[in-house]
Amino acid sequence: MVSRDYLINIDRELCTGCRRCAEVCPVNAIEGEKDAPQSINRERCVFCGQCVQICSVYASIFDESITPRAIKLKERNMLETVKEPLFAAYNIGHAQQVKEALASSELYKIVQCAPAVRVSLAEEFGFPYGSLTPGKMAAALRRLGFDRVYDTNFGADLTIMEEGNELVKRIAEGDGKDLPMFTSCCPAWVKYVEQEYPELLAHLSSCKSPQQMSGVIFKTYGAKIDNINPAKILSAAIMPCTCKQFECTREEMADSGYRDVDVVLTTRELAQLIKDRGIDFANLPDEAFDLPLGNYSGAGAIFGTIGGVMEAALRTCYELMTKKPAPRLELNFVRGGEGIRTAMIQAGELELRVAVVSGLKNAAKILEDVKAGRCQFHFIEVMTCPGGCINGGGQPKFLLPEYREEATKSRKASLYEHDSQLNIRKSHENPDIQKLYVEFLGEPLGHQSHHLLHTEYVARKGQN
Amino acid sequence: MSGTLNSFVVANPTKCIGCKVCEMVCFAVHDKKDQVAMAVGTIAAPIIPRLYLVRSEVLKMPIQCRHCEDAPCANSCRIGAIKQEDNRIVIDENECIGCKTCLLACPFGAIDLLPQFKDGEAVIQANLKEEGEFGLEEKAKTVAYKCDLCQEHGEPACVAACPQQALTLVIPAEEKKRRNRQAAVNLLAALK
Amino acid sequence: MNSFVVAAPNKCIGCRTCEVACVVAHSSKNMFTSTQREIEFNPRLSVIKTAAVSAPIQCRHCENAPCANACSEGCIVNTEGVIYINQRTCIGCKTCIVACPFGAIDMVSCSEDGEKKQQTGLKCDDSGKLCIKEKMVANKCDLCLGRQGGPACMEVCPTDALRIVNSDGIAGATREKRRRSVSGLSCYRVN
Repeated sequence: MVSRDYLINIDRELCTGCRRCAEVCPVNAIEGEKDAPQSINRERCVFCGQCVQICSVYASIFDESITPRAIKLKERNMLETVKEPLFAAYNIGHAQQVKEALASSELYKIVQCAPAVRVSLAEEFGFPYGSLTPGKMAAALRRLGFDRVYDTNFGADLTIMEEGNELVKRIAEGDGKDLPMFTSCCPAWVKYVEQEYPELLAHLSSCKSPQQMSGVIFKTYGAKIDNINPAKILSAAIMPCTCKQFECTREEMADSGYRDVDVVLTTRELAQLIKDRGIDFANLPDEAFDLPLGNYSGAGAIFGTIGGVMEAALRTCYELMTKKPAPRLELNFVRGGEGIRTAMIQAGELELRVAVVSGLKNAAKILEDVKAGRCQFHFIEVMTCPGGCINGGGQPKFLLPEYREEATKSRKASLYEHDSQLNIRKSHENPDIQKLYVEFLGEPLGHQSHHLLHTEYVARKGQN
Repeated sequence: MSGTLNSFVVANPTKCIGCKVCEMVCFAVHDKKDQVAMAVGTIAAPIIPRLYLVRSEVLKMPIQCRHCEDAPCANSCRIGAIKQEDNRIVIDENECIGCKTCLLACPFGAIDLLPQFKDGEAVIQANLKEEGEFGLEEKAKTVAYKCDLCQEHGEPACVAACPQQALTLVIPAEEKKRRNRQAAVNLLAALK
Repeated sequence: MNSFVVAAPNKCIGCRTCEVACVVAHSSKNMFTSTQREIEFNPRLSVIKTAAVSAPIQCRHCENAPCANACSEGCIVNTEGVIYINQRTCIGCKTCIVACPFGAIDMVSCSEDGEKKQQTGLKCDDSGKLCIKEKMVANKCDLCLGRQGGPACMEVCPTDALRIVNSDGIAGATREKRRRSVSGLSCYRVN
């Protein structure tokens, strides 16, 4: 397997040193002289993949002076059937590994899909921007050979149960020292805090991300209900993100007794795998996710866009705090877009102050405020990619930035549309989440939850 | 006979950063008709631009057709596949027989001979076969490509897409007038 | 890419040495010891002399060769970077002559092993007498396929007017032209 430390790379043979990637890199990890090939500072890089998205320096297949395409595909660990052009900035792929695992009859293959993938995957097959296709996606995954098509959205609902209760607990019981509480679903953001602000790690929610919560549940509860030996499970995740592979290989992410998630594919890699297998995506029927771990609420669905975690959390936290349903479901004031959006919600006695940070570049200011004790917020959502996961580094790449802006807008609208069409729109009302607590976890923040669903962070200042 | 000079796109080498966005958008605009959507994943054919980023030791900029008034490429084309149409020199890629003479004729290197694609598939010769390892095999069609100032798209896409605004569409008559005016103003300051 | 031989008209003096070299290169007979009857003078390039220009014209070995695409018998193929006419299967339909925009193809009588080939059945009426007709085939430059040292015409030109253009050469020239185009614009500023 390719080392996780080299998830994001710049092909020095192709790079012209235009440094457009350096402009979008939130952590100044791209180094090099103008007009000369760039390299990535691995102590700084958070694997967000924004450089991969913006890079426009392609490898011309007619240029005989460069390494042949077949060798480049191999270097990048991509399927040899991939036809699309290659660019200087790239992420190491894992589709080959998944393809081989899918061919194994020994393994019980489980897959989960992030909320943002269902509004972007179809773009890789020529569908309009933001086409919502959870049904075709589930059908494609089944045809690829997955035994269970579960969902990260279920894990998102579970995250809200834990994170919501954690927030309420921190506000009610603590001395305020671990407030504001930051979201922890974005692995690039978590890595950033670990390496740049280790003194503030206590402010990160101890909740694992939806991907990792799903993973640990699949290999424990999921194995139990399907009567499968968890050692035989291959747990794959389809993510809009190039950093999720890093997250799944973090040493501590093995509370099920195994790797909680074995391998991550980006949205683009899933599309490449579907094409490799000759599946006619456009004409697939709509199929449902498998139950119970593929059931989700509207709150889980909107995790994919900026402000979505906040909105989902508030829908649940409001009820936890006031024992009454929130006066309205659609909390437009946290549906951020620009850099930092702030809001205040009256929840009974409490003036709940929240902030949503879109783009890691905007996080430093808030972190400095927290460090100086000037930060008055209770809860802050941070997403590394501007606009949230819908604009992630593993999402379909576009020929031009303007196409990408259009796509991000459409994907966002599709996610909210999806939320509004679902019957259940609050995480705590998801019946299969309720059942999971009754049958397996006990209660949020309880002993079992603490063991499986929460984690600890490591200071990485000056190291990788 | 047209009284106006042909327009052309030219790059300012001090602004160009070498990002190849111009090549990208050139491809995107010309292959729209071939059902290429905007996502990179939907592109099955190689990227074929009609302008080429050139990097020399000291300078970098894209090179493309100057739409010469006395176009040597057109004058050398035996079959008349290169014509002047609404103030631009265009190659009829479907007519091109791949004789390569225009490549010899163009002094800018603005023409490239590359395979022709339709709907992501290489266009195959009607009858011409090529002797390969296993006998006679199909041969792909190869045609001359060059800038057509985005004839179908309307306006040159590269000019609009350049993140550095390094490309300009030069309309010679206007540019001359603008420069003359500026020179007159400068003269006023000098001889006051 | 197919290579091709091309002449610089400003250098050509119209001496036709290239034509002779072409015939010698393609003939199995010794031109200098044979009688005129034994030698067919069918050069595969034609020196054109007008008031304005003198230059030999020969096949450009087009990538999408119209002659080959027009040949209903599939006699014209692309082999070893050469557009090649298979004279054994040519039926003399002359469509390739109509297709070629350069006039690079000629019809000649077909010789095999130094002997003129006759028609198997076709006769022609020569002032009331039925005669056996000679087999006619299309003939054009084959870049002296198989000849050591490449095209003979280039070797003999006294003014070095002929040169071969190949894939590397054209790519190199294009690169060089582009580089020159860039330096030519180093003074260009839009303000």
